[in-house]
Amino acid sequence: MLGYIVRRVLATIPVMGVVALFVFSLLYLAPGDPAAVIAGDQASPEQIALIRASLGLDRPFLVRFGEWAWRIAHGDLGTSIFTNLPVAHMIAQRIEPTLSLMLLTLVVSLLIAVPLGVLAAARQGSTVDRVVMLLAVLGFSTPVFVIGYLLAYVFALRLDWFPVQGYVPLAGGFWPFLRALILPAATLGGIYIALIARITRASMLEVLSQDYIRTARAKGLGQRAVLFVHALKNAAVPIVTVVGLGVALLIGGAVVTESVFAIPGLGRLTVDAILRRDYPVIQGVVLLFSFAYVVINLLVDLLYTLFDPRIRY
Amino acid sequence: MQRRDLLKAAAGAGILAAPRLAGAAGARVLRFVPQANFANLDPVWGTQYVVRNASLLVWDTLYGLDSGLVPRPQMCEGHERSDDGLRWDFRLRAGLRFHDGEPVRARDVVASLNRWMARDAMGQVLKARLDALEAVDDSRFRFRLRAPFPRLLLALAKPMPNLAAIMPERVAATDPFKQIGEYIGSGPMVFRRDEWVPGSRVVFARFDGYVPRPEPSDWLAGGKRMLFDRIEWQIIPDPGTAAAALQNGEIDWWETPIPDLVPLLRQSPGVRVDIADPLGNVGLLRFNHLYPPFNDVRARQAVAMVMNQADEMHAVVGSDDALWRPMPSVFTPGTPLYTEAGGEILKGPRDYAAAKARLAAAGYNGEKVVMLVATDLAITKGQSDVTADILTRLGMNVDYVATDWGTVGARRAKQDPPAKGGWNIFHTWLAGLDCALPATNIALRTNGPKAWFGWPNSENIQGLITRWYDAPDAGAEHDVAAALNRTALDVLPYVPTGFFLGYQAWRADLTGIVKAPFPVFWGVGRG
Repeated sequence: MLGYIVRRVLATIPVMGVVALFVFSLLYLAPGDPAAVIAGDQASPEQIALIRASLGLDRPFLVRFGEWAWRIAHGDLGTSIFTNLPVAHMIAQRIEPTLSLMLLTLVVSLLIAVPLGVLAAARQGSTVDRVVMLLAVLGFSTPVFVIGYLLAYVFALRLDWFPVQGYVPLAGGFWPFLRALILPAATLGGIYIALIARITRASMLEVLSQDYIRTARAKGLGQRAVLFVHALKNAAVPIVTVVGLGVALLIGGAVVTESVFAIPGLGRLTVDAILRRDYPVIQGVVLLFSFAYVVINLLVDLLYTLFDPRIRY
Repeated sequence: MQRRDLLKAAAGAGILAAPRLAGAAGARVLRFVPQANFANLDPVWGTQYVVRNASLLVWDTLYGLDSGLVPRPQMCEGHERSDDGLRWDFRLRAGLRFHDGEPVRARDVVASLNRWMARDAMGQVLKARLDALEAVDDSRFRFRLRAPFPRLLLALAKPMPNLAAIMPERVAATDPFKQIGEYIGSGPMVFRRDEWVPGSRVVFARFDGYVPRPEPSDWLAGGKRMLFDRIEWQIIPDPGTAAAALQNGEIDWWETPIPDLVPLLRQSPGVRVDIADPLGNVGLLRFNHLYPPFNDVRARQAVAMVMNQADEMHAVVGSDDALWRPMPSVFTPGTPLYTEAGGEILKGPRDYAAAKARLAAAGYNGEKVVMLVATDLAITKGQSDVTADILTRLGMNVDYVATDWGTVGARRAKQDPPAKGGWNIFHTWLAGLDCALPATNIALRTNGPKAWFGWPNSENIQGLITRWYDAPDAGAEHDVAAALNRTALDVLPYVPTGFFLGYQAWRADLTGIVKAPFPVFWGVGRG
């Protein structure tokens, strides 16, 4: 197992290298010019060229990529073209809100979606099953910003339970922190709950038709023990897979959610950087997200062995 | 239901919510939502209006423009000009200090103005006439000119980017094409770099060492008295969220509410709405003068002959007719130089038959007309949709390139042929303040390769702009303005598409909000 983990961690190095090359090339080929954005409407072409030169954007692709890759290899993500701040500092400023939002969403989604999926599978074809599936379809097909506006309408403006927007760091107190995150997490969780609930239901249905479930029931085990001890553990592999893959959904949804609720997270940082063509920031954030995704998939692979002892690496 | 309807509903819900008063802890804090994201703070390097607006808090200027567009002494006590206009002597007022505690000296002024002149259009005209700019002693500095420059005070006072902001000599020594690293000014507020979260929050704290002028405040002139200890800028990118936050008392002042939400804000208890900037904005259609068909003045005139400013402006501001005005002029309505001389081409019924004949005479034969459209900006998108329609009705083959503003910003700088990555036309807008004067209207310059994107070339227009620089009095200025308007609307470096206004909204407990081309924070208080 340890050898496998080491091999997987080492394998992330070439993966990150390919991601780095891809991100850099994509931005190099993408239309837009930060020098033109910086120079603004007043600038002449000569002034734009001067700014481009001062930023080093007029040098050949390979030279720029080589310098950037060398810095990355030394842990330096560079400096934002616009704010003149280190990219690592900007990411550090933004990582807490995004991590908090995603973790809260993940926990709440699992706590809601897995029992719903199990319940729907246990009562397949019943009204409960249909309601759960209807909610799942709604959650999956309703855009994140619509859910966000509706929740803000009811719980912030009508009932005044939560703030409309903003973020309170954990250092500002647990309840203010949680209060500011509940609506965004509920917004972001809609699609995630739907996805996990559907997969849980499908996976549970398959497991519940197995012989060992019948045997467990024949032994006289209660419904709860059958569902949550025997069936759910065996149905967990596809659920864990979807939870891992769904992190990409969370990252995408966080961009919209952070905009709707004015949360200063990495999603908004990415959008702002893309709109301004702030290349070092885009590259840094995309690399970070890619790394996080690789790590999460590694964790998912390791979790398989926990749920299914037959899996060995 | 469309997104916009939902957004209105969400914002409208605030009407039903009980109004809340700001907490006691926030009584000395002003929470402000600016017009755009705030990414840097260099009044010379950064040209965005939002950067200018923040810079006005942190840095002071030697002179300040008042609401009559007259330059008044701000950091300066005053000046003396020699009879031949070739020597200007200035004296700084006593007690000026930078945020690091150091006194403001004349050598700081010299270094700051040298950096500014390298970037600013008016500064470059000044530099071309400059023999020497020197510090006489700690409090006095002198311009020695090769040729008179009657607009010197205006150049030092104008709030249009780039700003002639005064910073410490060591900071002003920064390459004008690179960002400064220290944000130290002598303005009424200190930039709190340690609390800055780019794209989310910008904090300014009151500078206790600031000594305001004794005169009443009038835009950038007079005493800048700060009544709040802190001003917190909160970047809220979603207008629906900003509206709801204002209604809920989570913010105090929103610089640019979108017109769609204004009716709802008006009905909301505890919220006030009014016009933000009396000088508004000017929409424009810019031609690329390097390539057919618009390298021929007749093609440009054909478009102007069918341009309907009412349609263009309705696409920008919606059905609120109080928000726009026609302007057969290159000057901003309501400003001293406004004239409609020569504006007939933009007035009266639109004559498509005559325009088609003019276009045919220009030799247009169905070639693609590449139109760059920034669809992420409602103002450019609205104008572009209307113009694409009139060009099509005119018989032009429009290639509508829908993209984002970042891409338009880069592509419009390309001088390649339209078929090879260049362009023919694009829409944008300028602040009305910028279009109040020939010197600050960048779209009016027609100095060929050195002109703004589109690179028009007209010695007549350039000559008239130079004449305005040298105009000895208001009468001469008006004569030049009339001639300039006639020539500009004949040569058509661009077509003005109309004048439009925007709103601002604030909590009712705020006092002292004024109408200006920039948010005026001094004099704003609570209760």
